[in-house]
Amino acid sequence: MNQAIQTVIAGLLQGSVFAIVALGFSLVYRVTGVINLAQGAFCVLGALTMYTFQVVYGVPLPLALVAAVIATSVVGLVLGAGAFVPALTRLSNSSVLMLTTGLLTFIEGGILVYWGSQPYQLPPFSGFRPVEILGIRVPTQGFWVLGAVALIIVALWYLLVRTTVGMALRACAENRLAAQLMGIDVRRMTLLSFALAALIGAVGGIVVAPVTSLQFDSGHFFTNFGFIAVAVGGIGSFIGSVAGGFVIGIAQQLAAGYISSLFANALALGLLLATLIWRPNGLFTSGPARRQDVRDEQRVYRAIVRLHGAGGASFAIALLAFALALPWFLPPGGLLSSLVITGILYIAVLGLDVLMGHAGQVSLGQAGFMAIGGYTASILATRHGLPPIVGIGAGIVVSLLAALVLSLVTMRLRGHYLALATLAFGLLVDSLSVGMMDVTGGPSGLTGIPSLSIAGYTFATPLSMYYLVLAIIVVLLLALTGAMNSGFGRALKAIRTDQTAAAALGINVPRYKLIAASIAAVLASLSGSLYAFYFHFLSPEMVSTRLSFEMIAMLVVGGEGTLIGALFGVALLTLLPTIFQPLKEYLVMAEGAILVASFLWLPEGIFGTAAIWFGRLMRRFNGKPVPVAKAERSS
Amino acid sequence: MSGMAALDVRGLVKAFGGVKAIDNVTFTVPDGSLTAVIGPNGAGKTTVFNLVTNLFRADSGEITFYGESILGLLPERIASLGLIRTFQTARVFPGMTVLENALAGAHLKVRSGMARQMLWLGSARREERTLRAEAEALLDLVRLSGLRDAAGTDLPMGGQKLLEVVRALMARPRLLLLDEPAAGLNDKETEDLAELLSAIRGAGITVIVVEHNMSLVMSISDQIVVMDAGKVAACGTPAEIQKDPRVIAAYVGQGTVTL
Repeated sequence: MNQAIQTVIAGLLQGSVFAIVALGFSLVYRVTGVINLAQGAFCVLGALTMYTFQVVYGVPLPLALVAAVIATSVVGLVLGAGAFVPALTRLSNSSVLMLTTGLLTFIEGGILVYWGSQPYQLPPFSGFRPVEILGIRVPTQGFWVLGAVALIIVALWYLLVRTTVGMALRACAENRLAAQLMGIDVRRMTLLSFALAALIGAVGGIVVAPVTSLQFDSGHFFTNFGFIAVAVGGIGSFIGSVAGGFVIGIAQQLAAGYISSLFANALALGLLLATLIWRPNGLFTSGPARRQDVRDEQRVYRAIVRLHGAGGASFAIALLAFALALPWFLPPGGLLSSLVITGILYIAVLGLDVLMGHAGQVSLGQAGFMAIGGYTASILATRHGLPPIVGIGAGIVVSLLAALVLSLVTMRLRGHYLALATLAFGLLVDSLSVGMMDVTGGPSGLTGIPSLSIAGYTFATPLSMYYLVLAIIVVLLLALTGAMNSGFGRALKAIRTDQTAAAALGINVPRYKLIAASIAAVLASLSGSLYAFYFHFLSPEMVSTRLSFEMIAMLVVGGEGTLIGALFGVALLTLLPTIFQPLKEYLVMAEGAILVASFLWLPEGIFGTAAIWFGRLMRRFNGKPVPVAKAERSS
Repeated sequence: MSGMAALDVRGLVKAFGGVKAIDNVTFTVPDGSLTAVIGPNGAGKTTVFNLVTNLFRADSGEITFYGESILGLLPERIASLGLIRTFQTARVFPGMTVLENALAGAHLKVRSGMARQMLWLGSARREERTLRAEAEALLDLVRLSGLRDAAGTDLPMGGQKLLEVVRALMARPRLLLLDEPAAGLNDKETEDLAELLSAIRGAGITVIVVEHNMSLVMSISDQIVVMDAGKVAACGTPAEIQKDPRVIAAYVGQGTVTL
């Protein structure tokens, strides 16, 4: 009994942190309609800044706390003004969601540069000695945490309900345009909500840092569980956020205490998936869910990138010749190996391009399918001695089944809810691959995976793998180009922007979404198995949700919806750190910055932008005027 | 205009909350005819289209398409039977060129599946070429072929509406529902549209058109259905409709006519 109460108290503590992060999510969502996945990083930033002030410089606690909160809010203001607010007016909601994953990565990268990768812990505010209540020992920090939650709720309630600023914030949430017409500076209000959320995050991080240790990537943890809490409780509802936080916290501690910690994460994610599917509006709110397909209402129509006929063919041949000759001109060293990795990752990103770039279905769980494929193939090859090629096939089958189940349960979900469900799927795979020690080898991974061999030939060297991967890519590109330039591709692109009009033309929207999701899963699975056979090793970290985010960055940087474009994105983000070894420290930060910057300033990606310039140049060269629709019609 | 009716709507009812947007609407569209639906704003014309294509679910009533009930079928299933619609505000697909938009309309006609397209089989490529030629011919008819590689959404409003009609035609519909195709068109474009409409009739396609442009309606239609406040106020040939006092009252907007 005593132990049960202890567990519940631990759950309450854990849950308060989730609740605080969830409150930040809800605040930004209420004002902007967007989920800010960077929220968790502000917790860590706040806590580590506090550490520097209090522990390193010896500033007294209250002063250090205020300074850390202010510093974090300022970072929030800067990132909000520089990235989040401009993004809201330029990008679709789901693109903003992905942009916030870039912000999360960026802040974590910044923390890594300044504080390094070791864990930190703050001293408790009021000493280490726990108080004893009815024979139950409670750490005093727990009261600070609970107090902080209460304080934040009351302050938020007062701000939103009792002040004019709060009224303006709520007006922005109801109807941005109407608010603007009423003279409310919507951009300023959005910025205010973003900075306020950063402030709340900082407070949360600071009060919890004495009871859990934090490191640069703990932001992911906070974001993940905060968003599970907010999705379970009801996005946009403050009471729901807090209730969701406590439910997840207590459920997790109980499961961890009585069953296993593997089950704890899986339980939370299962709860989330179930909520998203049956009650997308959350358990603690009523009324219809906001269910717009975010890519439907794309605010900015991207330029159309097409390389047709002779131009496309000669570009493809030139690129292939370059790729064939490349290994012979490389300096000795790790560069060839990096190229192989580029190719393997590109296969997975190619799948993402079909699903996201063409069909417009946001997926934050692509690495989950890599994990399924990789683990299935390598377990069959190592433990059961099956030929690698059989393992790859089995991995593909399992991934297809997983994609089918995921597609069926998420069929009705659109936009944000779909993105969140795919994220939950990715996290579920993460926690399973870490937790199922007997099957996957747990966090330390699977070792002793053989090289890939087909029909007696073993691809043991990087050079042989390079040509194998190149051949696979050429086949895939040919097939996908054929499909994307025909009826199949047009159906996907129609679904991307207007599902109603697509259905009115007889396009079976669910069917095409399912096919696109299957293609993405198959390619990810293939990529995951090749990854394992190439490294002879597979750990959960190699195919985690972080990689899913990275692959989105690669796709967007390279150029969505162009198939070949993604290659440039993958190459950039894979080769840069190899070529500039000393930059490795800045890699995470640069990845985040590149994703954010390309969403904002290079929406067509490297390849798309280059193709548009090239097209313009060719037209000028040929002396034909650039066809401008409006000019010609009005004549 | 003999034989089976293309579309038969009986006792259609749809309420939004407490408001009966469509109240016992009944009309028949003969095969091969061009029927115009007219009426003041808010009369329920577009709602009838949305009920026929099942964008909204009808509360009660019967809708048959060439003798087959289509009530409650999925929109894509209704389209696959040969009933294709356009929208009141043009819904050209962003991110696709003018030509690609037109080709998207041919979705139901594409015979070669994804696998054939992936393998670049001769049959798939020939089919693609045939469709392309067909689309270009139709675009030519509405003077859009010069802009085939421009983004569809870069066209002015009128061009987008014409493109949407072309896209619908690419599906080779048996029955075409056009929702205010002339709205936003300038005089010249309206002429193009009239030409296109008579070409459509010449091809034997049954058409229902919601339209406000009375001279266009009177000159092209075989039958006119007048709607007012969710009900059918009158139905007849253009000549009959022009003489009907209730229609004049309803259309000029002197209060609601009680029937």
